Amino acid sequence: MNFLQLNGLHFAYPERDEVVHDVRLQLAPGEIHGLIGRSGCGKTTVLKLAAGLLTPQQGQVQLQGQHVQQPTAEMGFVFQAPTLLNWLTVLDNVLLPLSLHGHVTDSQRAYGLALLDQVGLSAHSNDKPHQLSGGQQSRVAIARALITRPAVLFMDEPFAALDAITREELQRDFLALCHTQGTAVLFVTHDIGEAVYLADQVSLMHAGRLHAAYPIGLPRPRQTAMRYTPAFNALCEQLRHAMDTTL
Amino acid sequence: MKRDAFLSTLLGLACVAAWETAVRLGNTSPLVLPAPSVVAHTLWQGLSNGYLWPHIVHTLTEVVLGLWLGASMGFLGGVVLGESARWRSVLMPYVVISQVVPKLALAPLFIVWFGFGTLPTVVMTALICFFPLLENTITCMQQVDANQLALFRMLRASRWQTLWRLKLPVGLAHIMAGLRVAVVLAWVGAVVGEFISASRGLGALIIAAQGSMDTPLMFAVLTVITVLGLAFYQLCEWLERHLLGTSSELSTRTPS
Repeated sequence: MNFLQLNGLHFAYPERDEVVHDVRLQLAPGEIHGLIGRSGCGKTTVLKLAAGLLTPQQGQVQLQGQHVQQPTAEMGFVFQAPTLLNWLTVLDNVLLPLSLHGHVTDSQRAYGLALLDQVGLSAHSNDKPHQLSGGQQSRVAIARALITRPAVLFMDEPFAALDAITREELQRDFLALCHTQGTAVLFVTHDIGEAVYLADQVSLMHAGRLHAAYPIGLPRPRQTAMRYTPAFNALCEQLRHAMDTTL
Repeated sequence: MKRDAFLSTLLGLACVAAWETAVRLGNTSPLVLPAPSVVAHTLWQGLSNGYLWPHIVHTLTEVVLGLWLGASMGFLGGVVLGESARWRSVLMPYVVISQVVPKLALAPLFIVWFGFGTLPTVVMTALICFFPLLENTITCMQQVDANQLALFRMLRASRWQTLWRLKLPVGLAHIMAGLRVAVVLAWVGAVVGEFISASRGLGALIIAAQGSMDTPLMFAVLTVITVLGLAFYQLCEWLERHLLGTSSELSTRTPS
């Protein structure tokens, strides 16, 4: 069953050429799907179209059979920058998606703390965002996106600004969280290694068009050590080759 | 910091001492430049015999009313114009026109409209305080990070929630900066308004002192105005700190 479907999406920003041409994509429940391509190829626009932040000029997005016209409660979004609110504590930032829609219950607060614990920040729940490092802020942003237990999570290069070691740790923790919640993920990256490590399938994108999806046959749960195996490197090489030839 | 405050106080005291010495050595007439000790004496007399108090209360009332009226209208206007691009394009030219007209030049007209006394001064003070709040509120509401706005859309926040829980907290530092400017300008508006259209208040007292060539009284009134202006400014800074938390939080934005 297709859980999220992008059906022939076309999109152009006002007074600019079309940046997304006839994009078709299907995600199964719990699937992690990576979009990879060079900067400016339209990846982020596809992500915003899928999340309902932009409306396609042609085609439509369907989530669980429903036509998506604006963001829904089943979605979460992690932006490239952590976009935390500096005047709220870390915990209140995590609880923001809930506090906007009513009083936060004790069990929701406890779940927020549990999520912070899972991303290794339980000691910082009462800190303000500026007291955290960049990597810690990214972790808070991920916890915030997961607090509503979304069925699908959209991520726009959330690990791009992090150093290599922090990125690897965060990717590992992120996969564990998604696995626990059964969250489907559509994410954008320009890092081939990241795409292979996280995704079940990777689609190549170039000049607003989506090319064939490549299945990533690595076993789950993914371990950091897998990054150095011949199978992993072969997949990276295969993707790199596909990018060079098709793009 | 403590050392800087000490040096700052020392500098002020040195200036006053130099002033006192210069006046005494130069035998300057108190009509031109009274010594600080003479000013202090006049001030103390005015306060202790109750002569200054009704004037202080009068001006204080005008400043508070004018500031409250102008700042709240400026803030509300800023929110409306900041939220609606259409209202902004329609109304902004007229707002700017109303502000480039020198407010003090309107004082004679206000006397015709509102008569002598408190009302024309309050209106003028309000007009002067209006623009800094309006301008700063509009500006800060335009400067909200696009990703934060997208986040609030993603979280299905209403327009009111986006205003109340994102735009205003983000812009609070800017809005408070506007209030600080308005607090200073409010004293200018009230005192100059009284120069023209009042028989009571600290501004009117300066004009009366000028008429009777009582320069020490002019200096004493100036001292009162300065102290009160400073107190308002400090109050504003305290409010800012209270609303914004520590200043380090104020200057830190989410790195992008």
